[in-house]
Amino acid sequence: MKILAVCQSGLGTSFMVQMNIQAILKAENVDTSDIQVDHSDVGSATPDAADYFFVESTLAGTVSSLPKDRVVPLKSLIDKEETKQHVNEILDKEGIAYTAE
Amino acid sequence: MLDLLNAQTLQVADGSNLNWQKAITMAAQPLVNMKIIEPAYVESMISIVNEKGPYMNIGPQIVLAHARPDNSVHGIGLSLLKTNAAVPFVDAEHPVKLWFVLTATDSQSHLSVIQQLMGLLTDKNAVERMLAAVSVDELLTILQDLEA
Repeated sequence: MKILAVCQSGLGTSFMVQMNIQAILKAENVDTSDIQVDHSDVGSATPDAADYFFVESTLAGTVSSLPKDRVVPLKSLIDKEETKQHVNEILDKEGIAYTAE
Repeated sequence: MLDLLNAQTLQVADGSNLNWQKAITMAAQPLVNMKIIEPAYVESMISIVNEKGPYMNIGPQIVLAHARPDNSVHGIGLSLLKTNAAVPFVDAEHPVKLWFVLTATDSQSHLSVIQQLMGLLTDKNAVERMLAAVSVDELLTILQDLEA
């Protein structure tokens, strides 16, 4: 499974989200051998680039080419709780085991 | 950590007479003075917001302004302006008091700065204290406490 954090420039905020996701997976003892987390700019985010796309909510409109059910809009990029909730939903959906804190 | 944020790059202003364009320009001024960026970088940041909207409002009352690395950037830089009054970022739904400006010369070299910045911004207590701070000394104390 691949999760891609997307932002306008692919420089700053997407990397922040990537780090948060990685920290959450680690804290929840998820086996990440089959999970890839990366970041990119909006232009590189094509439907086949990843299974799930995390994006700041006001940018959700600019990634309209991506399937909606695989796009996760975030209201706050620095709120670990919000990100965690979405990560856990994905883990549940994919049937991946994790330790809920 | 976060030694890019220091007495030279931290500012506190009242903010009630600022709009978001002026707030970003003021937040970036130390980096212009230090010749880390040219004024053109400031214009790029503002035009990106005009074009793409308030997505740099990365969390409640926090903006991380940045633009693509180009020839108006000469180094990795980080600065912060705290406005005591909230300034609407693009619209009233995005009130902001903490204005960070990040500059980078390529897409990799600044990642450790972002990592450190995230350590600060995901610390709710530190963010609350920064939002309440009214002097550069207070901001410096908060950053030092974080290190301890």
